[in-house]
Amino acid sequence: MWGLAAILWLAGGGALAASERPAPDPKAGQAAYGRSCARCHGAAGKGDGVDAKRFYPRPRDLTLGVYKFRSTASGTPPTDEDLFQTIHRGLPGTNMPDWQQLDEATRWRLVDYLKSLSPVFEHTPPSPVTMPPDPGAKRADLEKGQAVYQQLGCAACHGASGRANGMSAAGLVDDWGMPIRPADFTQGWTFRGGAAPRDIALRLITGIDGAGMPSYAEAVSGEDIWHLAYYVASLQEPPAWHMIAHPLRVSGSLPASLDDPRWGQAERTDLRLRNVVQPAGEWAHPPTVRAIRMQAVYNEDTIAFRLTWDDPTQEAAESPAPDALALVLKPADTQGDVVTLQAWPYAGAPRLDLCYWSAAGVSGETLAAEFDGVRSAPRWPATRTAASSYDDGRWQVLLQRPLQPQAPEGAAAITAGAFTSIAFAVWDGGNADARAVSPWVELSLRDPTRPSGGH
Amino acid sequence: MTRCSRIAPALIAILVAIGCGSSKPQDASATTEGQAASSAPAQAAQASAGQPAATGSASIQGTVRLNGTAPAAEKVKMDADPVCQQQHASPVYTEDVVADANGGLKHVFVYVKEGAKGPFPVPTQPVVLNQQGCWYTPRVLGIQVNQPFEIVNSDGTLHNINAKPGVNPPFNIAQPVKGMKTTKKFTKPEIGVTFKCNVHPWMRAFAGVVEHPFFGVSGADGAFTIAGLPAGTYVIEAWHEQYGTKTQTISVGDGETTSLEFTFTAQ
Ligand code: HEC
Ligand code: HEC
Ligand SMILES: [Cu+2]
Repeated sequence: MWGLAAILWLAGGGALAASERPAPDPKAGQAAYGRSCARCHGAAGKGDGVDAKRFYPRPRDLTLGVYKFRSTASGTPPTDEDLFQTIHRGLPGTNMPDWQQLDEATRWRLVDYLKSLSPVFEHTPPSPVTMPPDPGAKRADLEKGQAVYQQLGCAACHGASGRANGMSAAGLVDDWGMPIRPADFTQGWTFRGGAAPRDIALRLITGIDGAGMPSYAEAVSGEDIWHLAYYVASLQEPPAWHMIAHPLRVSGSLPASLDDPRWGQAERTDLRLRNVVQPAGEWAHPPTVRAIRMQAVYNEDTIAFRLTWDDPTQEAAESPAPDALALVLKPADTQGDVVTLQAWPYAGAPRLDLCYWSAAGVSGETLAAEFDGVRSAPRWPATRTAASSYDDGRWQVLLQRPLQPQAPEGAAAITAGAFTSIAFAVWDGGNADARAVSPWVELSLRDPTRPSGGH
Repeated sequence: MTRCSRIAPALIAILVAIGCGSSKPQDASATTEGQAASSAPAQAAQASAGQPAATGSASIQGTVRLNGTAPAAEKVKMDADPVCQQQHASPVYTEDVVADANGGLKHVFVYVKEGAKGPFPVPTQPVVLNQQGCWYTPRVLGIQVNQPFEIVNSDGTLHNINAKPGVNPPFNIAQPVKGMKTTKKFTKPEIGVTFKCNVHPWMRAFAGVVEHPFFGVSGADGAFTIAGLPAGTYVIEAWHEQYGTKTQTISVGDGETTSLEFTFTAQ
């Protein structure tokens, strides 16, 4: 028994101690699969579990033997270690969680079970790629990396600045005919196979089978792979997922432009956006806007928000569905009522305070119990757009609003010493049926009687 | 119309039975019948000819026709990639179904499905799939098992070649630079291997991988030739990317040219 386990481990090229890999136990593997995996991947591994239809990307059909995250040549199956890693780490940015709550022996049994689902593992041996030596961050040449990025055409899918807005991005389909979106390189947290330079270098060499991203193994030198990998890694903007956001207090006038130096001092809060799940399922409209960054600066009576989000296509005034945003505030008397914007509006839903902006030049404030009417209904001018710009896949919008608007009646007041819940809804006209919404975070203004913030 | 010419008299009866003399187009249901009928004459032909040579002097010349009207071709939108757009002075149309005024169906891969007796030498000359103007040339190609398959990028833009065979191992490789060449091979016979480019989703090409040199691809008038066959009885299959396959059995004699017609029906 022990000998067999050791041989299997060697064949898998594992980095974990051989003693940790148990002897294969198909029954135990199958049982663990049934408990943890079948609800997404289906009882027989066909990717058709009860939860499958809702998710983008869809849970994999494991009987096909096509794997995205490998350390092996394009078209060959993953190593045992690759599969173990996927189970161990999960696939961030998708619905596939990590499985660290399962003990290591169970995870190895799952690896054996996964391999039994597809004949690929019998007739094609994995062909591990060799990684060129890592020069290290200090010796990586980012400028060279950027030139290689141009030369290799990463921009065709990922966009010139890596914001998932390349010329081919909107029309991409995966090998199963489902729409798929390239990764946004500023959002390393959406990478499934890891966002470190080494992970990126590996993706380049192996390609992402099934996703349409090709292998560059024969198209680029070992050195250039690392320059490029470090360059791509350098595009990441690490997110600040705060539950409580602290706007910056300034005296005098608020920033009136997007590049006012005071934005550099304002705290950043990133909020994750998720498409509202429709009956057709999440994959019917793969998410295009996955996060929004909020910064806020206020003085005695007004607050300014600088909002930044990546949207691969610009739809402005001429478009039937212009890009748009709602900054949503919970008026004090609705606290606790609307748990998440995912479910709002619903019958009898409380009204929320919507500060609305659209690329068609509309902005304003309204109190409403739903979104749809808001986009055409008359609004109070309390909220105004001070500036907006779209540049290479990225919107930036500057909204100003009184801390305590006089109208509409019941509008949310942002007061010092109390929390005000804030969330966002974002519409991408290029993905017109999708509405992306964030969770709530709490705005917390410092006590105005104490000096703080701005200069 | 199907003509039966210069066929060894002993085989005429069989051919009439299995389609050559039939005025109706063959459909796929003829396959089983044809196969069943083929084994006996094949053995007979061999016996009389002695040990069969790998190649011979018989050929099949035929036409593939489309019954009905082909779906209208659509203009391909290439404007997303200016490098593609610039290479075409006039609009490019989809080629899923290409038929001429007489119903000649282009891009059909016709090959000997059964009856070829190897082993056959593997050509060292590569079969080339060229990417030019963000279009594959040729769209349909035949290649022998283990013959070098050379993929060339003649465009100054990124192409990726995403091959999705069912039997051979798949691959998806990038060719970012003009002039880049990659050589691959297929180790198992397989018909209808699909190639596509994810950067330019309209690009499509197909390969038929066979163990022998007995195949052809129909031209603009639907005509194809399979040459160098030893005398014998063969199951011939015609494969079209949209309409699937049709199969017929045919016998050929040394030095003879036999004609064969396939008809697909537009859906
Ligand atoms: C909540 C749903 C869900 C559950 C439960 C789940 N998965 Fe997944 N899994 C997914 C999704 C979604 C994908 C596809 C991700 C993609 O295509 O990027 C996936 C993909 C995979 C892949 C393919 C990775 C690759 O490299 O392409 C493996 C392997 C896998 N899952 C194993 C498992 C195992 C083992 C379990 C149980 C321990 C499990 N999954 C449970 C949703 C789930
Ligand atoms: C044909 C389009 C295409 C091209 C060209 C392309 N990619 Fe991708 N890439 C994708 C798609 C699609 C995904 C998302 C895969 C998924 O969601 O499963 C992706 C994902 C990625 C990821 C994230 C992987 C992960 O772990 O989630 C990295 C890193 C990446 N690509 C790097 C590159 C680099 C660097 C280049 C240029 C050398 C490049 N890509 C060229 C389509 C492409
Ligand atoms: Cu292409």
